[in-house]
Amino acid sequence: MAALGARRVLRPGRRWFSETVPGAPSPPASPLYPPVVASLTAKSKAAKSRRLQRFNQRVHAAATVEEKLRLYGKLQRPKYTVYPQTFALNADRWYRSFTKTVLVPGMPPRAAAAKPPVAAAGTTPEAGRAPEPGSDAPRAAQAPGAADAAKTPEPAAGAAPNLDMGELRSLACDALLQESFYQNKKRPFLYRDQDHTPGPFLTQLVSTLAAFLSSRNPLLADSSLDLNPEVNYYWHHGEEVVVHGHRKGRVDSLRFQIDDNPHLQIRVPKQLPEFVPLESDLGDVPVIDHKPSKLPLFKKQYENKVFIGSKVADPCCYGHTQFHLLPDKLKRERFIRQRLEDQIEVVYRSNGIASLFAWTAAQAMYQGFWSEADVTRPFVSQAVVTDGKYFAFFCYQLNTLALTAETIKNNPRKNICWGTESKPLYDVVEDGNVKGFNDEVLLQLVRFLLNRPKEL
Amino acid sequence: LFPGVRQAQWLTKTKLVEGLPPAVQGVVDNPAHGLQELEERAKHAVSHARLWDTAEVAPRREQYCPVLFENLIHICRLMSGKYPSLSKRMLARNCRIAATWERESILLQVRGLSGILLNSMTPIPPVASKEEILATKEHVLETFYPIAPTIDLQEVNVYKELNDTGQCFGDGYPYSHPHTLFFLESANVRTNRFRPEQLRAKMLMFAFGNALAKAKALHGNDPKVLEQPVVVQSVGTDGQLFQFMVFQLNTTDLASNDGIKNLVWIDSDRNLYEKAQCVPEVKKRVVTKPAGISGFQPDTFKKFLALYLHGTV
Repeated sequence: MAALGARRVLRPGRRWFSETVPGAPSPPASPLYPPVVASLTAKSKAAKSRRLQRFNQRVHAAATVEEKLRLYGKLQRPKYTVYPQTFALNADRWYRSFTKTVLVPGMPPRAAAAKPPVAAAGTTPEAGRAPEPGSDAPRAAQAPGAADAAKTPEPAAGAAPNLDMGELRSLACDALLQESFYQNKKRPFLYRDQDHTPGPFLTQLVSTLAAFLSSRNPLLADSSLDLNPEVNYYWHHGEEVVVHGHRKGRVDSLRFQIDDNPHLQIRVPKQLPEFVPLESDLGDVPVIDHKPSKLPLFKKQYENKVFIGSKVADPCCYGHTQFHLLPDKLKRERFIRQRLEDQIEVVYRSNGIASLFAWTAAQAMYQGFWSEADVTRPFVSQAVVTDGKYFAFFCYQLNTLALTAETIKNNPRKNICWGTESKPLYDVVEDGNVKGFNDEVLLQLVRFLLNRPKEL
Repeated sequence: LFPGVRQAQWLTKTKLVEGLPPAVQGVVDNPAHGLQELEERAKHAVSHARLWDTAEVAPRREQYCPVLFENLIHICRLMSGKYPSLSKRMLARNCRIAATWERESILLQVRGLSGILLNSMTPIPPVASKEEILATKEHVLETFYPIAPTIDLQEVNVYKELNDTGQCFGDGYPYSHPHTLFFLESANVRTNRFRPEQLRAKMLMFAFGNALAKAKALHGNDPKVLEQPVVVQSVGTDGQLFQFMVFQLNTTDLASNDGIKNLVWIDSDRNLYEKAQCVPEVKKRVVTKPAGISGFQPDTFKKFLALYLHGTV
């Protein structure tokens, strides 16, 4: 049509004969019949796929993120509730297969390299001696002196200013002693040991450390600290055949929901930088042939929530660090008594993987990505899982949200989780002294809190 | 009881001064502290607590009151990047207070959970000058004849006269000076919450109790006039209205009705914001009130921050 029109314009002076140029009859401007597509309401596979496409288009075309989330989780069906803190054996392998995550032991390369140099003068006299509050006065006099010298930022190109380990250690020990020793508390309630001492200790430690380090890390100055927030995520992954009932024999996608309550979480307005590029492949995702209910995992039908801790309107919409406290049911002595020592680390790992996947994926959904519209940049968050004494550190990089049965076919990307073993922060607290304080754990925690985008 | 603060004044032998003391007011007005930039962050803190914190439509008071308090304290604590001596503070939750004193041959005591206490390593310097303290000698405490001043107080048999603020002082607790008490009225039902007047009276009694226990720990149990007055601050809120109080204990000689009195400065009923609209109000297809926080008053937050910074700045 366009070519005929162009030819007519190109020969304006030529006289047209009464007969038109023989050729293909000019096609009509619009098709005479509507396009032939599968029906919407028939009981056929084509109709089902057309309904699915309509749904996807509706979600793509949603105006706001809230509308998108509402449409995404509108249809309620029975789904598996995944608990991050679980006693199930080898739960972290199952969780890795549900979330397509690769577990890399140790810390990511960027975080390990960016180690702030520690003031050697401050540490050597205190390295062998456990800090005591009786000698607080001389140490307090020494620490501000060292702190003043250490805090003046050096103008050397790219060199991070020295951290004063003495000051940080005294903060940590004070928080620990206050909660466990100084404050007169009643005896802990039955099976509520974690609320009595480690919970408040963690809150105090994180809040004082975050305030102390806010001068180093301007991202922390804009951060938002949540106490006992809620983090939820709902996703589809894999397929199963319906076993019994009027829908027997039909193929259904597996639905999962994580409802998590971290003890503490820090949200920031800017995103943390990626550890490795988006398409990197650092390992294999375990493949499990059994149904998820063998884990054991149970199905329930309730609201499909996607929530990072606050609503979409909050400017602090990216996550920085989460802190998880393991409940009494999962304490180490119980596992040792049941002769399941190797499952202790599994508890920490499964908690880290599941919670961080839920958090990063919910953050990605708040930015408008979902399983049909995969993420264009990796989402990064960190977590610390502890039971009051032993700390394990996790970093998570979300590279893909496309986990449903159709989208996972051509998706080479995998999510990556780096994790450490659990290490004790101190040995024992006796008579107002903290014995056997481990500086490495504190240093790792401080490194976590100091993580920030490169521009800042 | 209606004149709650007046009764508390008689019980603690205190003179009331309206408004905040000049030292705290000076911290508020000082522009060097950069209180302007914090307005934005305070607004975010309020919006987060009142609007965004929950997956439901609107959070209830039991949820938003503590969250608002935590957010404001978080902003205040982040100032320790600027003032390193602020890190010498420690927050203690659920601490129990016990203090006893004699008042005209009636033995009174204050006991119970006193909310959240902020302790610091260094005491707050006295807020009133020596002349003001001496001037309180002339002040006459108002009595409520014929109502006995101990009306509405619970009478109990006390077997042990306790004086401590829930921490073991003798063991060298580094953060031994009570700095500020925080009271959160977060009950959902309005009748379970304290009215502002009663909240102020409660704040006064607990601040007095803390100061008295600290004074007795420092100077012994004998009633006398203190050389170094003990200052304890107090903030009470129900999520929207804030009451600020600075209490200075000048004397522990509380048996008689004359002599030097204690001083308290009260700044009452300050609104942090007018209304928090979770869902926009729509009348006849027109949005009359958009969603968000309306009527935000930065002065209230500045006073909160000033009370926090007082003593180290």
